[in-house]
Amino acid sequence: VQPPEKPLQAEEWNKLREDFQSPEIFEEVMLNSMIRCNSPIDVAKSLLTHLAKRNGDLAYNVLVKYLTLCVQQGQVSEIRDVYDIMKVRFKILESGAYNLLIRGLSNSDQWRMALTLLEEVKKMMIPSRTCYESCIKAASRHQEMKLAFELFDEMLAKDVVPTLDVLQSLFDFSRGMKDAELQKELFGILLYLRENQIYPHKTFMRSIKLWFESIPGGKWRGHLTNIKDSGQCPVCNHQLEDSNLTEEEYSNLSERIIRDVIHGTDTFRKTSPQEFEAFQTFVENRLPFDIVIDGLNVSHIKPRKMQCENLFDAVNCLAKENARLLVLGRKHMLINSSNWKREIMKEMQNKADFFFAENISEDDAFLLYATLRSGKHCKFVTRDFLRDHKACLPDSLTRHLFRKWQRGHQIVFPSVFSQQPAFRYDCVVQTTGDTWHIPYKDVFEEKYSYQVPRKWLCIQQK
Amino acid sequence: VQSANMLLRKIVRSSALPFAAQHGMKKDLFLLSRTLSLSLCLKQDKSCEPSEKLDLDEWKKVMKSRLQEEVSETVSEPKELSSLAAAHETLEMWRLAGRAVPENISEEQLKTFMECPSKSAKKKYLKYLHLKELRKKNDKRKMDEKRERKLEAQDQASKTDETKKSSFVCMWSSIMDKAYNWRAAQSMIFGQPLVFDMSYEKEMSVREVTNTVRQIVLSEGCNRRSVDPFHIHFCNFKDDSLYHREFIKQYREAWGKLLVTVTDQCYTEIFPKDKLIYLTADSPKVMKTFDHDKIYIVGSMVDKSIKTGVSLARAKRLGLETAAFPLEKYLLWSTGAKNLTLDQVMRILLTLKDTADWKKALEFVPKRKYCGFVNKPVKELKKTLDLINTLKIGKGREEVQKQFAKSYPKK
Repeated sequence: VQPPEKPLQAEEWNKLREDFQSPEIFEEVMLNSMIRCNSPIDVAKSLLTHLAKRNGDLAYNVLVKYLTLCVQQGQVSEIRDVYDIMKVRFKILESGAYNLLIRGLSNSDQWRMALTLLEEVKKMMIPSRTCYESCIKAASRHQEMKLAFELFDEMLAKDVVPTLDVLQSLFDFSRGMKDAELQKELFGILLYLRENQIYPHKTFMRSIKLWFESIPGGKWRGHLTNIKDSGQCPVCNHQLEDSNLTEEEYSNLSERIIRDVIHGTDTFRKTSPQEFEAFQTFVENRLPFDIVIDGLNVSHIKPRKMQCENLFDAVNCLAKENARLLVLGRKHMLINSSNWKREIMKEMQNKADFFFAENISEDDAFLLYATLRSGKHCKFVTRDFLRDHKACLPDSLTRHLFRKWQRGHQIVFPSVFSQQPAFRYDCVVQTTGDTWHIPYKDVFEEKYSYQVPRKWLCIQQK
Repeated sequence: VQSANMLLRKIVRSSALPFAAQHGMKKDLFLLSRTLSLSLCLKQDKSCEPSEKLDLDEWKKVMKSRLQEEVSETVSEPKELSSLAAAHETLEMWRLAGRAVPENISEEQLKTFMECPSKSAKKKYLKYLHLKELRKKNDKRKMDEKRERKLEAQDQASKTDETKKSSFVCMWSSIMDKAYNWRAAQSMIFGQPLVFDMSYEKEMSVREVTNTVRQIVLSEGCNRRSVDPFHIHFCNFKDDSLYHREFIKQYREAWGKLLVTVTDQCYTEIFPKDKLIYLTADSPKVMKTFDHDKIYIVGSMVDKSIKTGVSLARAKRLGLETAAFPLEKYLLWSTGAKNLTLDQVMRILLTLKDTADWKKALEFVPKRKYCGFVNKPVKELKKTLDLINTLKIGKGREEVQKQFAKSYPKK
């Protein structure tokens, strides 16, 4: 339905209602379309008046819809009126109305009232992300940075995840302020990005750069750059952090992989205890390997070639550098077939160690184990993103470790789709005190989680 | 003036304007239409100039007057609410806001709601209750209608003639029950065993256990009504487990009289290992024929969050033979997981037992999961199907060519 352009009389509303195909939901549909068309508020008022006169009351959802329209148009006095009415009419309000009220008021000069409303919400439930973000933005818009950061810290403490948008606004509104506390808080945000492996997008990056450069007496300079493959920053010649995990992180990760990925709830789901034990002794006797290859995965690289040929090419290519290779496969590869020729398999077994798992076992788990056992220098070859294995890890911290380790150790043969080569440096926000290096995304949305940005913001203090 | 305005608006709306313009009435009408648009502007400025009587804020007055009444009524109400009552209030508000929330909620349900770990879990649970409530209401309405119709029919029947005579007294259902029970009792002595493995309680949520038990109840019903029933065993069955409680909820008194074997022993303790075959969709082995000498095991599990390899792991641990239904061989699979519900498995097994006809048995696979039965070897059909799909989706030409090259290698 098309909402009318001007306020209507009761009779006119009645007529419209009768003409509507299902009169019971007429008001709801009409208000929805008013919200969609951003109709003048007076039109909605006239409908409300008509309804109030007819029924002697207004339903809660009607008030909420009217509130949506008011918030959409920034009608502050109306928002307050609706709030007063709701407050007395209903014992409590639900989150939808609070979201609207806080959003509406935080954009006005009555933004402090949004803060009191937020306190009210807190008494009943954990406020939503939009509630917090509206209040944080309102506070920082009025240069009350301390308040803004208090709210921000509270939000994080309650496990409410902020959007990049609100982080950016914190940088934007802190521009040009000289305040050591504030600086610490903003560095805190950068470290938050680091810990959660979040990459800012281009506009956010620009806000960060402008903030740094605006610090009075800070002498910060920012440059956009690409990091060399060696991990050196061409602007400040600084060497970026190594992609290797620390000793502790490394042992932590290998422990978790064995416990959660290989054993999980039941060792029999992916392998069997006997088989895993056999594999363990096999690996221990031959350690350390330089490269571990997922045989089956590699054998599918070129679909038109015979599978063992693909594997043969890969093994030959990697064996050249005198590396110790381990190829993981399944028992069916040993049976002479059109895809697996016995002579070629024999030939390969001279160049690399082979382990054949049962046909119903998962060889990926073995791949991870053998690589981690061999030590930090060991790389692995597969096109698999290993997402299902990452998903077996219970907490996000270990998952981040896994991703970092994977970035540094996975080799992917170029084929239909290619992943980035193993990185020597760690692709994450990092600092040395007088320099900051911040990777950023060129596009607003990052499409694949395995892709890491190639562009960097280098900030150094002169 | 007002009526003239209205008239004009009608004229303009009913597109009489171009028509009139053609007939030389252009000038007058344009003049009039300008005044009209002017008055429209005025209206928007003063918000409601022509409809003088319309007070736009009147709804506020109505609401406030109402409030005063109510406030005077409920002055002495205690302000503090228990957490349960507060949750109830929140739900009520959500219902008023038009969310999918049940109208009535029991205290137990409310507690479950409060224990939900996340917002989305809460939402889902409420939606589930809401739909359940709707379904119940609908059923009740239908029952009432039916009853009314029946009464009407009876009224008419009593007017026309007396009840018809028949040589059978109307005891059909209880006689059938007896016959079924007789057969089931026979099967408990001579029948082929079929095992339900009840060791999956830890792997499931409460709702999944409820669903599992419901599916088993259905399976048991099918089995009882079949010509040659299985001898059903519930193995690894722990007393006072969630399964047990759900069974009692479903069967009530009948649970004690059920013609099945319930035991806390494992199937390996009752039957020789070499006769057991564990049915699981994850099995690498595909079942070719139904073997009347074997004992098939079905895992009593509903896994909504598809847990691959759980039942296969059970069989591997005990060193049992496994098998999967040859779904791929006989059906052109389209969507959905290959794991079937327990009652579907039961129907398939019963049909196989009676007829050994795979096509007939696999009729019980839900139709939405497959496109049709297979006559040609599946591999070839699949290739053509994939090809058709890629063409349909309109992927890049290269991809199609690649696909084509794969399916029909040059030789």
